[in-house]
Amino acid sequence: MIDQLINIVSYGCIVVGLVFWLWGTWPLVGPRSVLYKLHTLSVADTLGSVAIVVGLLLKIPSEWPLLIMALIALAIWNTILGYVLAYCSTEEPND
Amino acid sequence: MTFFLDLCLRLTVWFLLTADPSPINIGIGIVVCLLIPRSATLSYTASLRDWGEALWQSVVAIPQAYIEAVEIMVRPHRYEDLTRKDVPPRRTPGLVFLDIFVITFTPKTIVTRYHKRGWYEVHWIRRRKPQ
Repeated sequence: MIDQLINIVSYGCIVVGLVFWLWGTWPLVGPRSVLYKLHTLSVADTLGSVAIVVGLLLKIPSEWPLLIMALIALAIWNTILGYVLAYCSTEEPND
Repeated sequence: MTFFLDLCLRLTVWFLLTADPSPINIGIGIVVCLLIPRSATLSYTASLRDWGEALWQSVVAIPQAYIEAVEIMVRPHRYEDLTRKDVPPRRTPGLVFLDIFVITFTPKTIVTRYHKRGWYEVHWIRRRKPQ
């Protein structure tokens, strides 16, 4: 019973992550600004990937050290890379 | 305080990577973490309270980020806006890093620039046209 519940939650997280991935990647081919695309990419890359790794964590808890490491790395690297890209895509104000 | 947090972060990464709680590995981890050079610009003056608040905000940002993601997906956010957010006083480089992380982690806001004169430039996406 508990195994079934964990399976459902795990696959649920993975499916949510895949939906986030697809939804956040699609606007990349659209006409919006670079910064708008970065907002949607943070949904896809960061939140989508985190949901998928949480799903994996529930499926294979024996690998928790590496998966937790992956979660921390994903959150920090994706977020800070988003900041770096946002910084590079805007001009230095004159004030 | 920053030294202690820095050491904890390094040890956490070490133990997660090695996944080995044996006494030898703990010893090697502590030695390696102490030997890795620290940033020369790192400030050690931040208070425990400031760090606690910043770390708590990082935890709160996780559910908030998912709520914002669903909001963006369900309701289109057509408008964009650039605002300034004041940097709290006595912010050390580590706390500024955490501030930028928390703001950029949530999908509706991205820090585009940090001004040393005391503010973050924040880019927003919004549902309604900004006033």
